[in-house]
Amino acid sequence: MTLRNTTSRWGGIAQFLHWLIVALIITQVILANIAMDLPIGVRKLAMFARHKSFGLTILALAVIRLLWRWTNPTPPLPNDLKPYERTLARITHAALYLLLFAMPLTGWMMTSARGFPVSWFNLFQLPDFVPKNQGLYDAMKTTHHALSYALYAVVFLHVAAALKHHFVLRDDVLRRMLPTARKSG
Amino acid sequence: MSLTPRAMLGTAVLALTFFQLAAAAEPAAATHYTLDPAKSALEFQFVQAGAQNKGHFGKFPVSLELLSDSPAGGKLDVLVQMTSLDTGDKERDDTLRGPDLFDVAKFPQARFTSTQISKSAAGYEAVGKLTIRGVTREQRVAFTFRTAQEQGRTVGYLTGKTTLKRLEFGVGQGDWKSTEWVGGDVVVSYSLRLVSAAR
Repeated sequence: MTLRNTTSRWGGIAQFLHWLIVALIITQVILANIAMDLPIGVRKLAMFARHKSFGLTILALAVIRLLWRWTNPTPPLPNDLKPYERTLARITHAALYLLLFAMPLTGWMMTSARGFPVSWFNLFQLPDFVPKNQGLYDAMKTTHHALSYALYAVVFLHVAAALKHHFVLRDDVLRRMLPTARKSG
Repeated sequence: MSLTPRAMLGTAVLALTFFQLAAAAEPAAATHYTLDPAKSALEFQFVQAGAQNKGHFGKFPVSLELLSDSPAGGKLDVLVQMTSLDTGDKERDDTLRGPDLFDVAKFPQARFTSTQISKSAAGYEAVGKLTIRGVTREQRVAFTFRTAQEQGRTVGYLTGKTTLKRLEFGVGQGDWKSTEWVGGDVVVSYSLRLVSAAR
């Protein structure tokens, strides 16, 4: 496996970014749900602080990932896809990229509008995205939550499609995003 | 009965001496300054989750007694109404007022009373007793001071900042004793306009 993408397979960098972001998103969902259930206190503060730091990490990785995608060949979708499947795949992937940016950005806006400045893992402080504004905070909170449900839905489609390609259509769509499996015929 | 001139002189000298002694024993007239709340600020800065956050107090009557234009030898008294704290977030303010942090129900006031004010390299330094959350500790408070005449009144401007360690005053019980997510150091800064009473 090469670091760069080829016309038939995702390279090492693209795979690493993909799976690292998968792990971080799962972490984010867990942290957010633990934090929301906790009573006001240091532990809630700590959980949300980690959630914000991981969110900013995902935002940075999303930028890198998009740049990497634009400077590398993209393995094409299988030729035998029906037009609607092709469109659905395009929309799903576009939505995933969009959400990779929209989730952290709405989260960052939400905390800035609340008046809580953010740091990255207590190491350095980031500038406030927007000035303190209660109305904007409420709007961003609603949006951030709504987008999280949108993300679950799109991830479900993405995973379902990957599994269908692997187990039903038996093509290499999933395998080409996996490090060990070799390209089948 | 008649007094000899000599006796009269003796009485006069005695009287004069007495008045001088009396004058010396009486303290020099002190100037009493009180706070102009509209043009004063008492703020605090703290680290929350790795980021700088700040708040201020709305009510903090101040009394400053000065013997001259200089604060040296004077007396400073600051009373902070803890309920008046404001960090711009109601949820956080309520938490700060709660039992694990300032516990304002039990300790509604914080107070600094100077025992000595002396000149320092950077301005002045007041040494005194600082009470927060029922804990009294000796505290050094650095400040600069200048006076100005404004509309026939003497006005004093007192500014500076002092770093306090919140845990020394018990501000932070239970989980809040950790300084990982809420820093132990709190920078208190003050910019006060003090107006002389009378005239």
